[in-house]
Amino acid sequence: MTTTSIEKTSVREGASGGGGYLRFQQKAAPYLFLAPFFLLFALFGVYPILKSVTLAFYATSGPKDMVFNGGANFTFLFQDRDFYIAVGNTVTYALFSVFLQLPIALGLAILLSQTWLKGREFWRLAFFSPNLLGQVFVGVLFAVLYQPQFGLVNKTLHSLTNGLVPLDTKWLGDPNLVMPALVLTSIWMYAGFNMIYFLAALQAVDKDLYEAASVDGASAWQQFLNVTVPGIRPVTTFVLVTATLGSLQLFELPYILLNNGAGPDQRGLTIIMYLYNKGFVVGDLGYASAVGWTLALGMLIISLIQVRITGAGKEGQQ
Amino acid sequence: MAYNRKYRPERVLARVTFRAAMPGLKGFLIAVLRSYPYGAAALSMLILATVAGLILAFNPPPKKQADLVFWTFAKPHYEAYLQVIGDFEKEHQVKVDMQLVSNQGLPQRLQAAFQADLDVPDMCEIEISSAGSFFRGPLEHVGFADLTDRIRSEGLDRKMVASRFAPYMSRGRVFGLPHDVHPVLLGYRRDIFEKEGIDVNTIETWDDFIEAGKKLTIADKRYMIEMSDTGSDQLETCLFQREGGYFDPQGKVTFDNEIAVETMKWYVPLVARNSKTRIANVLSSSFGTVIAQGMENTYFLSVVMPDWRSKIFENDIGKLSGKMALMPLPAVKKGGRRTSTWGGTMLGITRKCKDKDLAWKLAKFLYLNEKDLAGRFAGTNILPPVRAAWKEPAFDREYAYWSNQKLGRIYANFAPEVPAQYTHPFITLAKTKFGESLTACVQRYTANGENGFDEFVRRTLKSKADEVRRQIARNPF
Repeated sequence: MTTTSIEKTSVREGASGGGGYLRFQQKAAPYLFLAPFFLLFALFGVYPILKSVTLAFYATSGPKDMVFNGGANFTFLFQDRDFYIAVGNTVTYALFSVFLQLPIALGLAILLSQTWLKGREFWRLAFFSPNLLGQVFVGVLFAVLYQPQFGLVNKTLHSLTNGLVPLDTKWLGDPNLVMPALVLTSIWMYAGFNMIYFLAALQAVDKDLYEAASVDGASAWQQFLNVTVPGIRPVTTFVLVTATLGSLQLFELPYILLNNGAGPDQRGLTIIMYLYNKGFVVGDLGYASAVGWTLALGMLIISLIQVRITGAGKEGQQ
Repeated sequence: MAYNRKYRPERVLARVTFRAAMPGLKGFLIAVLRSYPYGAAALSMLILATVAGLILAFNPPPKKQADLVFWTFAKPHYEAYLQVIGDFEKEHQVKVDMQLVSNQGLPQRLQAAFQADLDVPDMCEIEISSAGSFFRGPLEHVGFADLTDRIRSEGLDRKMVASRFAPYMSRGRVFGLPHDVHPVLLGYRRDIFEKEGIDVNTIETWDDFIEAGKKLTIADKRYMIEMSDTGSDQLETCLFQREGGYFDPQGKVTFDNEIAVETMKWYVPLVARNSKTRIANVLSSSFGTVIAQGMENTYFLSVVMPDWRSKIFENDIGKLSGKMALMPLPAVKKGGRRTSTWGGTMLGITRKCKDKDLAWKLAKFLYLNEKDLAGRFAGTNILPPVRAAWKEPAFDREYAYWSNQKLGRIYANFAPEVPAQYTHPFITLAKTKFGESLTACVQRYTANGENGFDEFVRRTLKSKADEVRRQIARNPF
């Protein structure tokens, strides 16, 4: 009824000579509705991005004091020892995320997709639930757990190893233990999250393929390699790329865990933390922009390599 | 009763009117919906946007009511100021908006507001470690007003402990009024020291202290003193005691000079594993439950104790009441300085403040009123930099927590000796690099002991200081 009425109205208006205005209205309407988004996006998205490109070529002290310095920010960046420390730490963390956290997530997903396992829903929730907490909360929590002498981690390890692990082991104070502490914390937090993606992917794998493989005499490992892995490849690529990008953007967790700093010997310094320090503590927005663009370029290259290696995007062509 | 209320005439009338109007209203809405060419969803968005716009238009944000807006990050300061601010308001017939802002967020918020020309408070207290970062760039672009002439013309540099202006100066100009002196003493477990037969009166130098410490320290169970092997808090206290620092008054990096080298060489064996003179250790934090447990369980027998920390101990570790006492910091050499400094706060007036004279009056009201300062000391244990205030009786009060010692008098006695510490826009970086040097030196000493240690310390400090110099050199402002 409504449609008919509107059509009638339109026909009537067209006949009475208001058609030009109506056609203009109909043509302009989509643009008008989209305009607020585009205006805001241009103002708060595109402009800052373009501005940061130009800023990267200036020495700055806040936005008021700027001097064009050509590529000096980039030249200095590649000579700055702290930048390499930040890159080294971030890459180490990302590697652990990919090669330790994701296999754990996949293992959990496979385990929790087994029909013989009782209370699967409970375990799924239990493993996923750490991700419901914010990084800041997790940082505070683990700072307490990792305390030397009185912390739960040391007390447990000390009693389990019959005193082999000293009570005053400084997880966050010993330069060699900072990264393991960070990685353990992130596994606790994110393994369950990635597990959910793998669970969904596993459920989408055609069960007939397993039956066929089984009839052909394939072992469980062969089924995993030849049925499961190809079946979950698109999701694996997605998880791989997002986990890597997330790792490269790591900031809050080490910042809180290491008491608003980079930890002993800067072993918890990440690229984003480095950028934050330069931009917002030192006030050198130009240099921070140079760091940001270098990071963005690095992330783009890594993502392209990952997509190429995993063969994602080719499924449709085959 | 319910029956009667339901059929009261005005209710019946309202119901009848509503029922009569409803079909009309419904019809009107349907008509609008049908005649609007882009559908119900778009119309709803339009209505929502119009309503929200109208609400915003007719409810503008309230205009600033206060004559002065004052930010502080320290709750004890905030509470103390609230108690007296009414007197100032009454005297000057003005309104002061006192705001407590998180210390983590305050420097960044203020820095961003300065840089972006946004709304900033008229007055603000800044913690010493972040003060330097506000003095970056040309002097005319520093967000705080230059107080040098006011301070000199009113003789405040003579009334207050002169060394406390140093952290708030840049290129010879003063941008902040010091809130405190923060002399450093040692707080120790008197009960354990006495039980173990240690007489603190015989401890005059660090060598004496280390000797006593060797007797009391039991590896992994009990340490003579809390000192960090990775962070620079206690190390820098020792550096200041020796007249060293991160920067000199001209802003040159100095943490690789001979004083720093000697301080590092002396400090590292106190905290490094495998060292024969290891008498110190650290837990994950020098504050909160961690240090409370450490002190209660005699994991630590003493700590570096600036005045502000003594109040934290009183509040957080009540169980140690009567078991703690203060002693002067051991001197580097006999007859040497028996104190140092840790922490500090400045009060700045922002350049954007419209009534700087009023702000200056408030600054003096809060920071110079001797009676109020004495009252505030009772609540915070923080020694004010105004010498005249130290004569007040509050500074002679005996503290049961500190084994009936006269806390205020002890700190006041050492206040004139407090060394100056000079700041710089790159102070945060310098502290980070000094901390890194400490970590590297501790690792090296743990692995190799004294073998080649002198050369390693010199090389490490030089390399880290050069990193800071390089960063400063590329800054054209």
